[in-house]
Amino acid sequence: MSKNKKNSDAETDKNISAETNKRPEPAISIEASDRQGASIDIPIKAKKSKKLRRKAAMNNISLANILLLGAVFAGGFTYVTLFPHETKADDENRYLAAFPKFSIKAYTSGDFTDGVADYFDDTVHARADIKQFIADTLMPLKGMKYGGEKAELYGKGFEKPVTTAAAASTAQRTTATTTQMQTTTTTEPAEDTAADGELTNNILIVNKRGVNLYGGAWGTEQEYASYLNAYKEALPDVNIYSMVLPTASSFYLPDEYKDLSQSEKEDFDRIEAALGNIMSIDAYTPLEAHKDEPIYSRTDHHWQPLGAYYAAQQFALTAGVPFPDISEYEKVTLPGYVGTLYMYTQSATLLNNPEDFVYYKPKTNVSVTQYDTHFGNPVAADLLLDPSQMPNSGYYMVFGSDERIVHVNTECKNGRNLVIFKDSYGNALLPMLTGSFENIYLCDIRYFDLNAAEFIKNVQATDLLFTMCSFSAVGVNRHCIYNNLIK
Amino acid sequence: MVFSRLFFIYIFLPVCLLCYALARGTKHKNTVLIIFSLIFYAWGEPVYIFLMLATAAVNYTAALFIGKYQGKVGDTAATITAVVYDLLMLGVFKYSGFILENINALFSSSLPVPDIRLPIGISFYTFQTISYIIDCHWEKVKPQRSFKDFLLFLTLFPQLIAGPIVRYSSIEKEINERTISMSDVSYGLNRVALGLAKKVLLADQLSLIAESFLGNIGGSTMLGAWYGAIAYAMQIYFDFSGYSDIAIGLGRVFGFHFDENFDHPFMCRDITEFWQRWHISLGTFFRDYLLYVPIFGKRRKYGGLFLVWLCTGIWHGANWNYIIWGLYYGLFIFIELLIGKKKMKVIPVFIRHIYSKFIIIIGFAIFYFEDLGKLGTFFKTAFGFGKNGFIAVQDKISFVNNIFLIAAAVICCFPLIRSIKDITDRRFAAKATMSSAAAVVSALLLVITSIILVDATTSPFLYYQF
Repeated sequence: MSKNKKNSDAETDKNISAETNKRPEPAISIEASDRQGASIDIPIKAKKSKKLRRKAAMNNISLANILLLGAVFAGGFTYVTLFPHETKADDENRYLAAFPKFSIKAYTSGDFTDGVADYFDDTVHARADIKQFIADTLMPLKGMKYGGEKAELYGKGFEKPVTTAAAASTAQRTTATTTQMQTTTTTEPAEDTAADGELTNNILIVNKRGVNLYGGAWGTEQEYASYLNAYKEALPDVNIYSMVLPTASSFYLPDEYKDLSQSEKEDFDRIEAALGNIMSIDAYTPLEAHKDEPIYSRTDHHWQPLGAYYAAQQFALTAGVPFPDISEYEKVTLPGYVGTLYMYTQSATLLNNPEDFVYYKPKTNVSVTQYDTHFGNPVAADLLLDPSQMPNSGYYMVFGSDERIVHVNTECKNGRNLVIFKDSYGNALLPMLTGSFENIYLCDIRYFDLNAAEFIKNVQATDLLFTMCSFSAVGVNRHCIYNNLIK
Repeated sequence: MVFSRLFFIYIFLPVCLLCYALARGTKHKNTVLIIFSLIFYAWGEPVYIFLMLATAAVNYTAALFIGKYQGKVGDTAATITAVVYDLLMLGVFKYSGFILENINALFSSSLPVPDIRLPIGISFYTFQTISYIIDCHWEKVKPQRSFKDFLLFLTLFPQLIAGPIVRYSSIEKEINERTISMSDVSYGLNRVALGLAKKVLLADQLSLIAESFLGNIGGSTMLGAWYGAIAYAMQIYFDFSGYSDIAIGLGRVFGFHFDENFDHPFMCRDITEFWQRWHISLGTFFRDYLLYVPIFGKRRKYGGLFLVWLCTGIWHGANWNYIIWGLYYGLFIFIELLIGKKKMKVIPVFIRHIYSKFIIIIGFAIFYFEDLGKLGTFFKTAFGFGKNGFIAVQDKISFVNNIFLIAAAVICCFPLIRSIKDITDRRFAAKATMSSAAAVVSALLLVITSIILVDATTSPFLYYQF
């Protein structure tokens, strides 16, 4: 009996398990008590099967989730590797990272592996369009524009320096150093934050114009003046001029925002008072008089060549040299220019409001030789570069990079030889002075590897012009002026 | 290699996941993980990878000796050797420059200061080996016999370079036996997307605010200084917890369950609680391995406390501000300990919230300024002794320009996902809807994050351009 029961139990178990396998719709059948054969089936869901079904549903959702994200990864992989890679970024004025060359040295230093990752990150297909989408659509989601003038303010971010367009491609890398908890950022020495209140690195965008806010000199203007005085001591027979150039900060801030920047004019006055036997040239007044003309770029932190013309005129007047009228030049207009301030801010306002870049070609003949920063390796060159040879139109395109010494020999035979020590603002002055001096040597204060006094004597300079924008004269670049004298 | 770059997300990770999925059996999967982990580490550290491998070999061998001579002299000797080796490596590669600079400053000596670059992740993997060795010594875990399996524990790339500090005991079993369910993988992938979004959409954007107000503290107003410090506090939180999310998520995809490292720290009501919610794996490490070191005798309760906070500070970086930062927290925890839990609870909750956030925000400012002079300027400015007044137009512009970002960041400091889950988990339909929505949101976040990353290579710089 017991054996039989066991068997039948086992059979029932089997049946149950067979039933579960088939998963029939479970139901309770209720027969009517008064009518035979009449019954209704009420389907019920077994508790276990409901659980199973829910589990299966959740599993399906998980699977769909995996497939969805998997599709994003697969799509991203295809896009990053198989789509054509970009080679240059017009809006950033640079060539994009190239695939690195392998060498043991490059590998052990980490440059090779970094370079491979940089290459894929940097050369994403349709990069410019994606960037435009970020600027137009994503970044505005961060907040609103401020006030009636629709102002946007940009501070400095975790940034690595780009020295010039040419050096940029190798210098490109934003390293998120959050792999260690220290979260320190790598700042290059020159970028090192200035002393208290010395400089701000902020940009205000207002009235479709980007303005670098001038943070004030706070005493460093005295250093600038003293460095120039040291040049006069070393070169008593040379006429030395100082022409510190104002920036857009002086002329284009609406009243409401004037407090954001310090006065460049006041610092210029202090510089003039501190200069010894050096001729101070006031470029501020003529520029202010012409501020309604396009003398400063709206989208670039530089001025426009027209601004350089007015400043050069003032200088020529003080130096007592001839100065051809602007009609003596051939005017070239490059439309659709978006300059460096867009690169710094990624502001859609600047991107969507390009400007004309206008420059002036002297009609007279000049011979131009470019040297390296040791005044070696001379190469014949053009005064202005060919737009088609550069990654982008713009200030650097027309005036080249800063890391060189340029010698210009002109048709003006007045025996006056001029050396210019400048920052990138000075580049635009060079074409405007080709009718004023017989020889001009254009040197960048930041990239000069000789003793300045010896160099000036060697080239038999009669005149020496220091010209740079306010930020360079009172900022970290000022030290270069003195360092060049004691090299 | 950094998680938040396209090369990692769309080349390294997909290839790794594919190989991992194709590998059959845990052994082969482990081999795939080790290979990819070594590639991952060598990508950033082609040379220092040998230092890490040496550390692995030393600790692996020491643990075998500990196992062999359990409870005997050999056990203690092996433990001491391994821990001293680990600390020595950390000392040489992380602190030698700092120590020598300070010796030179103190004794006006001119010892040569070595210029040693910090090997990536050394602070993290050293602590992992130390915890492993001590756990073996305390017989909490059995020494791992297979070098390959030990290497897997140490080098597992999701947690290798930025934590959490994973204990051997927590993944010991999973090294050789782990099941990976569909829900594990989907949860893991969503968590990775969330972590990336926290890092790229919140932390990196907040860093622009922090940098323009703290980086230029001499030009900031009183309100600007606080605004910058608050942005920085949130930046660090989203940055670091985002990295932990990615690590935990990737771990889950591979079948490992790492412990949580952050638990909404800004929800804390006092500083003690903050540190139970912030970088939990570091706090528990010091609690378990340092607090009970009997060097302070009977007074070890307080002595140990300050030792822990000194070490916490030093661990974060070889600089005085980190030491001050650690001791600063130690001081407030000490004060809270003196007041006692019961008395602390008497204080109204909102006052405790204000107190703790105030202390934390100042704490992050200390963390920010490696230059103590500038830290001084921050304090002057923040407490109304600065030269730029209370508020200026740049504060207003920046705030309005970033108002939605700040609002989103503040909201994300609350345990939002957990609260939604608590509600939806009660009903199946709600739970299924929530899971489906999570999938869509994760995919969207991943796409948006990737788009933003396209632009992350732009590196503008101002001074040099003039």
